Amino acid sequence: MLVIDSVSKSLGEFSLSNVSLSVEDGEYFIVLGPTGAGKTILLETIAGIYSPDAGRILLNGRDITDVPARERNIGMVYQDYMLFPHLTVEANIGFGLRSRRADPAFIRGKVQESADLLNISHLLHRYPGTLSGGEQQRAAIARALVMEPEALLLDEPLSALDVKTRENLRAELARIHEATGTTIVHITHNFEEVFELADRVAIMHGGNVVQVGTPEEIFRRPNSDFVAGFVGVENLLRGTGSVDGTVAVGNLRIRAENGIPGPVSVAIRPEEILLSKAPLPENGRNVVFGRVDSVRPNGGLVRVFVDAGVLFKVTLTRQGFEEAGFAPGDAVHLAFRPSAAHVYPSGEEED
Amino acid sequence: MSRRDTSRFRTATVLVALLIAAFIVLVLLGVVTHSPASVLIECLLSEEIQFAVRLSIITSVVSTLLCILVAVPVAYALARYTFPGKSLMNMVMDIPMALPPLVAGVGLLLFFGVSPIGKSLAAAGLTFVFTPLGIIMAQFFVNLPYMLRVTRSTFQGVNPRYEYVAKTLGCTDAQAFWRVTLPMSSNGLLAGSVITWSKGIGEFGAALMLAGATRMKTETLPLSLFLNMSTGKLEYAIAAATILIMISVVSLYAFERYGGATHVY
Repeated sequence: MLVIDSVSKSLGEFSLSNVSLSVEDGEYFIVLGPTGAGKTILLETIAGIYSPDAGRILLNGRDITDVPARERNIGMVYQDYMLFPHLTVEANIGFGLRSRRADPAFIRGKVQESADLLNISHLLHRYPGTLSGGEQQRAAIARALVMEPEALLLDEPLSALDVKTRENLRAELARIHEATGTTIVHITHNFEEVFELADRVAIMHGGNVVQVGTPEEIFRRPNSDFVAGFVGVENLLRGTGSVDGTVAVGNLRIRAENGIPGPVSVAIRPEEILLSKAPLPENGRNVVFGRVDSVRPNGGLVRVFVDAGVLFKVTLTRQGFEEAGFAPGDAVHLAFRPSAAHVYPSGEEED
Repeated sequence: MSRRDTSRFRTATVLVALLIAAFIVLVLLGVVTHSPASVLIECLLSEEIQFAVRLSIITSVVSTLLCILVAVPVAYALARYTFPGKSLMNMVMDIPMALPPLVAGVGLLLFFGVSPIGKSLAAAGLTFVFTPLGIIMAQFFVNLPYMLRVTRSTFQGVNPRYEYVAKTLGCTDAQAFWRVTLPMSSNGLLAGSVITWSKGIGEFGAALMLAGATRMKTETLPLSLFLNMSTGKLEYAIAAATILIMISVVSLYAFERYGGATHVY
């Protein structure tokens, strides 16, 4: 288990403030956040590149806060691969084992094993400069894995790759995690990686961890405006909540999945809202009447804005949209289940 | 602006460039072609010029090695670490480059001639005043900033994350430097060494002050050029100048080739 206990680190414009996380053995843990949230410093502090200003880091029960990077046995993979350009792929992968002064025959065997796992055996004699981005990233992952690290840290490992390569390598990461059982901490700002890979996710913002949970929890039950906005919850309604699970938003009374008294925000994902010209039966749902305000096509989806006293954003498939034929000015009915409406304290006055 | 004006402007600027290039080539050709080939070869093979070539090569190679030896750790510290007084130190180490070499030479002469440190070095057998050792010291002092600048900017050009990865793979700071940063900097170091060496072989002012101009003792190529000019042995001076021109052209080519020009300024 990797435990980050109240770690703070200030490095000029980037910082970590009082970050605590614990990553289980064999877990695939993703840290998600916008640029400048302190994600890379977090990884580099875990790796031992920086020592924290305050707090402790424990790896499998051992306090490694003051252990130098070379003795931590934590692997690191960067977005830009950082393969040593003057060494062949084989020498890159074997680099760490040579640092440990392992037997050359043992190194060859291990390098081969690691290259096989990443499907790059045919590239061992090439230099990094002659490889594609995806091949370089495989080599960088092999170089870290060959050390059998107790934890593997991935700093935006897929961000520099083109879409197709990224999809392949994403699937590959899932397979490698499955095959090796290595504890992985992966940072990214990309959601697709979260859903395909993560057991759990932490959201970082301004050097703080603001929420930790399963991808489903983060996606559907954000605990703050920042997380809700970051995970794409487009309907954030300010209101006044009460313990019975209802929220007064303007003239509307919305039934939500949880009840919190006082000023709250209600987060409703735009794809969780049903839209119809015909009246919709309540069946325990929230049903609201409004008018189509505007329609915006967005690739395979269509976003429909509905004015119901407050503005709701609804996402429809293009097919669903065309069948119903919504146009601005149409009278429509909206319906969403209370479980689709998640409430968190907003700490601000209703507006 | 009309197209016609633009092209007239273009013609004017290119013309100035052509004129200057032609001027430079004419000046150098004038030196190289001044003596008939037979006389030039005779002078090149003379004992005095041979001595000057040997002394120049030995002193410049040694001073370049010293520059590398000192510049590598200093440049690394300046490129990678922050410490109090760093920017002041950066400036101080560039001073010898901006200083007229004669002034550097006077300083060196006083330091090694009359200061207690210089006197104790001389007592220990390290005499720099009016000796070939002084030539090496003069070249080292004047040219270190060039090596330092190229090396520093080469190290700055190597992303420190290469070293971070090396450390997670079991390297100490020093091992990460030897196994990763240094080999990745080889082109820059090579370019820096070439420019340092070629400046060393042409060093005159500071060497003149510290080592003096004694025929067949501290007579490097530039000093030979100076001595023979002042005694009217023009063809010997021309021979020394011809060698210096060839060295300059070849090392400039090597410097450009290894990408050094991107590092100096």
